[in-house]
Amino acid sequence: MSDESVHAALRSDAPLVVIEAPAGCGKTYQGAAYARDAAAILKSGRLLILTHTHAACSVFDSRTSGAGSRVEIKTIDSFIGQIAGAYHAGLGVPKDAATWARQTKDGYDLLAVKIAALLKRYPAIARALACRYPVVICDEHQDSTGERHAAIMSLHEQGAKLRLFADPMQTVFTAKTHIGGCPPLDWGALTSQAQAFERLDTPHRWANGCPNLGRWILTAREALKRGDRIDLRNGIPDSVTIVHADNIAQQRSVFVPAPGDRGPIDAFANEHQSLLILTRYNNTATGLRSAFNRRLPLWEGHNRLDLEKLVDALSSSNGDKDAVAKAAVAFVQATCVGFSGTAFANNLLADVADGCTKRRTNKPAKIQALARLILAEPDHRGASKLLSRLADFRTTDADFRPIQIDALKEFYEACRLKDFATASAGFAEISQRRTYSRPSPPRKAISTIHKAKGLECDRVIIAPCDAATFRDDHLSRCLLYVAISRPMKRLMFVVPRVNPSPLTLV
Amino acid sequence: MPAPIIMRLTIERFRGVASFTWQPAKGSNVILGGGDAGKTTILDAIGLLLNPTNAVSLSDADYFGRTVADGFKIEAVMSLPPELMAGQTHRPSWPWEWKNGNAVPPALGDEGPAGDPVYILRVSGTSDLELLWEIVQPNGETDFLSVGLRRAIGVIRLGGDDRNDRDLRLVQGSALDRLLSDRSLRSRLGSKLAKSEVKDELDPDAKKALAELDTAFKIKALPDKLDLAVTGAQGVTITALIGLTADKAGVQLPLANWGSGTRRLAALAIAEQTQDALPITIVDEVERGLEPYRQRGLMQELQDGAAQTFLTTHSASVVSAATNSSLWYLDHKGNIGPLDRKKIADHQKKEPETFLARLSIIAEGATEVGFVNALLEKVLEGPPEQYGIRVSDGGGHETALGLLEALSEGGLMFGGFADDESGKHPQRWRRVKDKLGPLLFRWDSGCLEVNLIRAVPADRLEDLIQGTDDGPGSRLRTLADRLGLAVKEFATIKASAGDSLVPLIIEAALGQVPTGKDSEKKTYSSHAQTWFKTPAGGRELADKLFSLGLWPTFKPTLMPFLNAVRGAVGLPPREDIMP
Repeated sequence: MSDESVHAALRSDAPLVVIEAPAGCGKTYQGAAYARDAAAILKSGRLLILTHTHAACSVFDSRTSGAGSRVEIKTIDSFIGQIAGAYHAGLGVPKDAATWARQTKDGYDLLAVKIAALLKRYPAIARALACRYPVVICDEHQDSTGERHAAIMSLHEQGAKLRLFADPMQTVFTAKTHIGGCPPLDWGALTSQAQAFERLDTPHRWANGCPNLGRWILTAREALKRGDRIDLRNGIPDSVTIVHADNIAQQRSVFVPAPGDRGPIDAFANEHQSLLILTRYNNTATGLRSAFNRRLPLWEGHNRLDLEKLVDALSSSNGDKDAVAKAAVAFVQATCVGFSGTAFANNLLADVADGCTKRRTNKPAKIQALARLILAEPDHRGASKLLSRLADFRTTDADFRPIQIDALKEFYEACRLKDFATASAGFAEISQRRTYSRPSPPRKAISTIHKAKGLECDRVIIAPCDAATFRDDHLSRCLLYVAISRPMKRLMFVVPRVNPSPLTLV
Repeated sequence: MPAPIIMRLTIERFRGVASFTWQPAKGSNVILGGGDAGKTTILDAIGLLLNPTNAVSLSDADYFGRTVADGFKIEAVMSLPPELMAGQTHRPSWPWEWKNGNAVPPALGDEGPAGDPVYILRVSGTSDLELLWEIVQPNGETDFLSVGLRRAIGVIRLGGDDRNDRDLRLVQGSALDRLLSDRSLRSRLGSKLAKSEVKDELDPDAKKALAELDTAFKIKALPDKLDLAVTGAQGVTITALIGLTADKAGVQLPLANWGSGTRRLAALAIAEQTQDALPITIVDEVERGLEPYRQRGLMQELQDGAAQTFLTTHSASVVSAATNSSLWYLDHKGNIGPLDRKKIADHQKKEPETFLARLSIIAEGATEVGFVNALLEKVLEGPPEQYGIRVSDGGGHETALGLLEALSEGGLMFGGFADDESGKHPQRWRRVKDKLGPLLFRWDSGCLEVNLIRAVPADRLEDLIQGTDDGPGSRLRTLADRLGLAVKEFATIKASAGDSLVPLIIEAALGQVPTGKDSEKKTYSSHAQTWFKTPAGGRELADKLFSLGLWPTFKPTLMPFLNAVRGAVGLPPREDIMP
């Protein structure tokens, strides 16, 4: 198990090679190098690299430049979409299957189910694909659902050589129940099925940061994988700090460290290096924003769950002004603080309900102005214009200053919905643009661990490291590992004195 | 790699073909049919679809009815190995599913085993007289069908004309070019030939003349420093001039110097040598330039190979040798149908020209053959062969019925002329009649002799008995023998037979054996030959139809059949047998 053995295994004749690839150990480097070498000696067909994100596609693209058309790089969902487009009539989806999948709830999962079934029933199609792509490399394969894995294996059964890179300790996305009856990827079965199984174990990413930290993170990973606890009492390098802090917040899953314990945390955060404060839940992240006096932005990642909810509600509102108003209010309350019922929301809803007949002055009049926007256009346009006007009021009007937008990007994307014919079309277009523009996180940010996957920074604070956040289950272990593997230089655990996580030994 | 196979061929509006669909067999397909039926057009269509170059020029005659605006389309559903597809297309080519004779897009929720994967290839003639080669994907989109892919599938054409020489030379895309596949040869040779010192080969006078020319050019401000070298010409590359040579009595001669048959076989042999390739093979007129023993040899090679082949022939020996091939017949309407080998084998042996005619009429027996030929000569005002019509002997009632069934099942148009044998096989005859229509003639009851003899008025019976050459003697003898008379005088016989004269004549004409005379069966049955049971006898009956004034009786029943035959060869119907 080393860089050399992985290098050799990839280039062997073994039809199925599985590489266990912990974070930062050079999997992309190995994968891209192998791709260049393998593509050069292909007699016919092309080499296919399948990733899960467009960001990863770009990375592989730049690292395999020069291989030309012999290498094709796609996301696995694009690949599935392409097959679906060719056979759309027999699958019951429209010809532009990819757009349908984008616009349908769980669309890509549904397509994956259909394609897995199609390839199983018609091995000739899998064979045609295997002839076209005699070598297939899969990146982050632990994120593939059972159906996606089945589809890839169909190609393998028809003769394609597979090289799978996966980290079983980073399976944070497949925990939620998904469409389709296929059982999730079984790591044990996969590694025993492979003719060659190797592990990358050199923490290359930390070569320019703190190498000790890199090695410690790998050891911690092993402990988590074994089912053990990470020992934070002994043997920790200088780059890892433990801070005990009590939670003074009253609401559930919100963490605000006690003032007396904050010192080392603030000092850590105030250094000039890049920083991510990682936690598990969205509302914990929002709460942490307040805890840090709103000086640190939220990293919103690539999903917009609240915007999705808004779009769903608006699409089914069908001109019902009250429904539109409720949806708009829910969105504002999810993405901002300060838009409480008593202060703003109740008046707004009442005005919409009675048609803005009552005469109002001062602040209520401005709220009524917002309500009129919905009465004028009881659809996504009215809601979207309301959001824009609200943002304006925030800057111009003292009454509205208490409203603070936490999810800035999400909020402003919602403001753009009015430019589109329907809410769903707008959402699809905005999501599409976001997928390709791939914004990167701010220098210092607060984020959920899910959204931080794949990112790197100098410093990380994990707060809180308690039993509610990191339970003793596989998902929690993976989340903890993802969190500790983000920093290159310094890592801080904020551990409450009451109910610390069972995964750590303090 | 398995061989490429055409599963279904569709031709629309190409040359003389309006609309044509065919599911050929996997191995060797031999297409028979009369002249101008369209056999060569089918072969040309396949060749065009798989043409190894894009350099084909169309004329308006390639479009049906010369209407260029409507375009034409040639489409094939083909079984192709996926390895072949993988290397050749820029975008992925997705397979269809072959199900019940159709290519369908694979669908989830279908029951039963999955059909074989197939691809759909198409070439269209546009309204701009241009050709467009495409692959049709299951979602309806089309991609360009590249020259590379067409060459990978491969087609060998041994044409009807002497373009065989093409395959013996290094013309781009020819069999020899594919075999040697030396891509850079052209450029290497080009530069080498360009260097050849032609100037040094000139004799002194010529050298002087060239030098003087050079001076003159310089004076006239034309390009100077002249030299001589091998240059190409418009439309002819240097490599196209390179061809195979072989030894003939110690001298290397171009293969083009050998006979046409040898050249053909050579071209085929070159094509077969190309490694790993099993190209679709098209041979128009298999027998061309070959003696029967070489025809049989070539036929053997073609049908025993693994590639799918399409052959046409007019040679009976080729048809006899085609024991491992599927036989097809292209009728005058342009429909193609299978000829069931078992059912037609016997007929094929006896009357090999049946399937080489434009319209074949299966007559029940020898008499009918002569009778029908004679009538056709009158109604066509010329011999039937001139129109590609052949009347053949079906070998009896049962055999003729079986043959007509086998032919009409395949949707082919044939003619028939048969008896009613005591109402036997009514359903089978009805089915055949439904398919063939008025081209099938059947007496309502009885046979030709019976119907005709019964129609003769009593006072003309003696004329009926009168034979053509040797007088009535032998026929009267048969009658006398049946009556047990020694004298073969008509009057005596007539008196002796009385009312049963006509039945007696019928018995004799049909060669029926009287009860109790089984020991002399041969003698009695041979009576038929003396009467009308020969082609000459049939002709005689046709003549007597008119000379005995019987035509008006039979005109209503026979005229529809004769007009149907006229219609089959493109002639308008007539009121009467003569205008």
